[in-house]
Amino acid sequence: MGKTLKSSTSNRRRFLKATGASVAALTLAGCASDDAGNGGGSGGDSGESGGETGTATGTPEQSVDEVVIGSNHPLSGSLAATGVGMSNAIKLAAMRKNEEGGIESLDGAEVTVIEGDNQGAQELGGQVSEELLSEGADVLTGCYSSPVTTAATQVAERQGVPFVISIAAADNILQGRDFNYVYRPQPPARRLASDYADLVPSVIRDDGGTIDTAGLFYINNSYGQAIRDSLREFLPEQNVEIVEETAIEFGASNANTQVSRLRSADPDTIIATTYVAGGVLLAQALQDQDYRPPYLTASASATFTDDDAVSDIGEFANGVLDNNYALNPTVDKTAEVRSQFLDNYDQEFSASVGMSYTAAEVIIQAVEEAGSVDPDDINEALMGLSYEDHISAMGAIEFDDQGENVNALGPVNQVQDLSVRVVYPEEYAEAEPQV
Amino acid sequence: MGHLVTSVAPLPLQGGGLGRFIDPFAQFLTDITNLEPVLLQLIAFGLLLGGVYALTALGLTMIFGVMDVINFAHGIFLVVGMYSVWLVSETAGISPFLGIPIAAAVLFALGVVVHILTVEPIIEAPQQNQLIATLGVLFIIQSAIEIVFTPDPQQVELSLGSVQVGDVFIPLGQFYALVIALGTMLAVRAFLNRTDLGRKIRGTADNRDGARYVGINVRRINYLTFGIGAALAGVAGGSIALFQRFDPFTGETYLINAFVIVILGGLGSFPGAFVGGLIVGMIQVFGGYYLPGTTAQVLIFLLFIGTLLVKPEGLFGGAEA
Repeated sequence: MGKTLKSSTSNRRRFLKATGASVAALTLAGCASDDAGNGGGSGGDSGESGGETGTATGTPEQSVDEVVIGSNHPLSGSLAATGVGMSNAIKLAAMRKNEEGGIESLDGAEVTVIEGDNQGAQELGGQVSEELLSEGADVLTGCYSSPVTTAATQVAERQGVPFVISIAAADNILQGRDFNYVYRPQPPARRLASDYADLVPSVIRDDGGTIDTAGLFYINNSYGQAIRDSLREFLPEQNVEIVEETAIEFGASNANTQVSRLRSADPDTIIATTYVAGGVLLAQALQDQDYRPPYLTASASATFTDDDAVSDIGEFANGVLDNNYALNPTVDKTAEVRSQFLDNYDQEFSASVGMSYTAAEVIIQAVEEAGSVDPDDINEALMGLSYEDHISAMGAIEFDDQGENVNALGPVNQVQDLSVRVVYPEEYAEAEPQV
Repeated sequence: MGHLVTSVAPLPLQGGGLGRFIDPFAQFLTDITNLEPVLLQLIAFGLLLGGVYALTALGLTMIFGVMDVINFAHGIFLVVGMYSVWLVSETAGISPFLGIPIAAAVLFALGVVVHILTVEPIIEAPQQNQLIATLGVLFIIQSAIEIVFTPDPQQVELSLGSVQVGDVFIPLGQFYALVIALGTMLAVRAFLNRTDLGRKIRGTADNRDGARYVGINVRRINYLTFGIGAALAGVAGGSIALFQRFDPFTGETYLINAFVIVILGGLGSFPGAFVGGLIVGMIQVFGGYYLPGTTAQVLIFLLFIGTLLVKPEGLFGGAEA
């Protein structure tokens, strides 16, 4: 499984570590009397001598002071409103862990987060990964935009460093790439679309509604196209015919034309798949043309799980059914983390931010179980991970051999009273669906 | 529900093969033959979009026409206009419509300052120097806005809704923006043709050396022109804020389209900016409706390249500002 480049990198790492340890051993031998009172504290020195601050030396008696997570997100650019929140969520996960005493298996090593700004630009995804690694990141996470994540994960794989995707839906980030170091807790596009087809028509039909036809409104990039392709596959299996498809460009100024197309086809439901801005444009154009299908829905769309966007759209957003990864409202920890996030960052703790938080906890848990910051040790821990104590509405996070979470789920949310609530399946529901 | 629902056959889905490009044209011709009401709706959307595009291109073409400066900061000037309107309506409770002239004044002042500090000192240098300088201004102002206001999108609290004329819906926010665009274009044209200062600007645009010989203070004309061009961006940005959420990066899309429009219409030409804006708006709307995906944007760039190859001076090239 695509390991050639990794092997050489890994060998290089081991060589550096061995050299570092040897140099440190020689240095310490010369200074033994001076260090008499330091006991087992030599590990930190040896790490510095080897030129790999914060990196484990691989010898049991050496310790690690910190674990460095590299956060590769859009901190500027048009995706920054969400990207900054996602990066802050990773910092919050680190802060909470440090407040609990740090990584227990590493004698309380602190979790540190270093941030890189990919600006939402595909060409910067790999470059930012490289920079974070050169600054000492032991493990990486990112990137929100699927095209950026595709580039960023390539670098991690080549360097043999684990990369836990915070958010990025496109299937082909992991599938068909034969990766060994990349993991995705969230449901990928195919799973999200499959969950839409399984769950949303059920919610509508169980309430006596009719959903025979659908119109797709999607952002024209790899994420939008991936959801579109999977909906094409799964909706007919649930007796829903796609009668219209229309794409919106990234950065478009309005969705008037797309809504004209959808209005002409008049489907039972419009299914939106967009970033926040695209969904707001859709809602605005629908209102401007005084048109709303019987069911306004979304699949994997950030708009209708974002309280700020919902508030901006106003009353028109009420009733929208969206299937997407979600915060688990049935566990106390969710409210606790949300409250802490608001206190620290004065930002909304949206589902996207929450998913990013979960990804950070997955990393921290893997390091805890690895008891090491060696990339291969963390990677091994990720492969065998079963993490239940998270705040996302899905089962225990466990990865298959492609790095996909086998228990990933895109439950159904609904906007009710301008608030986003999980309504289906029942085990995660905080409110009844109002169809 | 709209009236169009029952009268128009659904468009073919985006399948594979050549058919996905040929079928839309056949559908378009069929709709024309049948005089489908949807065509009127699309024309309305094209006019609304084209008018705003023309307004965004106006300041850009004016600055080039008079000073031969390609102003990359134009996109961020639009954004400053948006934030100005938002700020005065949020903080002082002033109507966003009244905020537009305030935005114009703010941008005029900003434009003059930017010109004096960055463009004027290198006005005689090769053109790429001004291009790089204005690009630098773009990044500086963009970062400043991002730091001060965060990257979060903002919107002016103004629910204007839409009116229905027959089968045609007209979003009022965009309609008012179009009216402002047309009014501004007429006002600028009158200013250039009927005032002494306007005539001096036109004279400078025609022949900078000649203008100096007849006693026109070309330096003063330069910063006034840059200020007026920036003020036009302020009006455009303020108008866009009436109907669209915005963030520090919203100007990028408009800037790209503005460049396409001024090349298409002819660098420095006001009528060219207007006609170019309408053409781009119509392609985007009709292409968006009939063509698969976002092929319309490809068409716009093909037209852009085609213009450069076949008629590099643009449709109205050489026409006076």
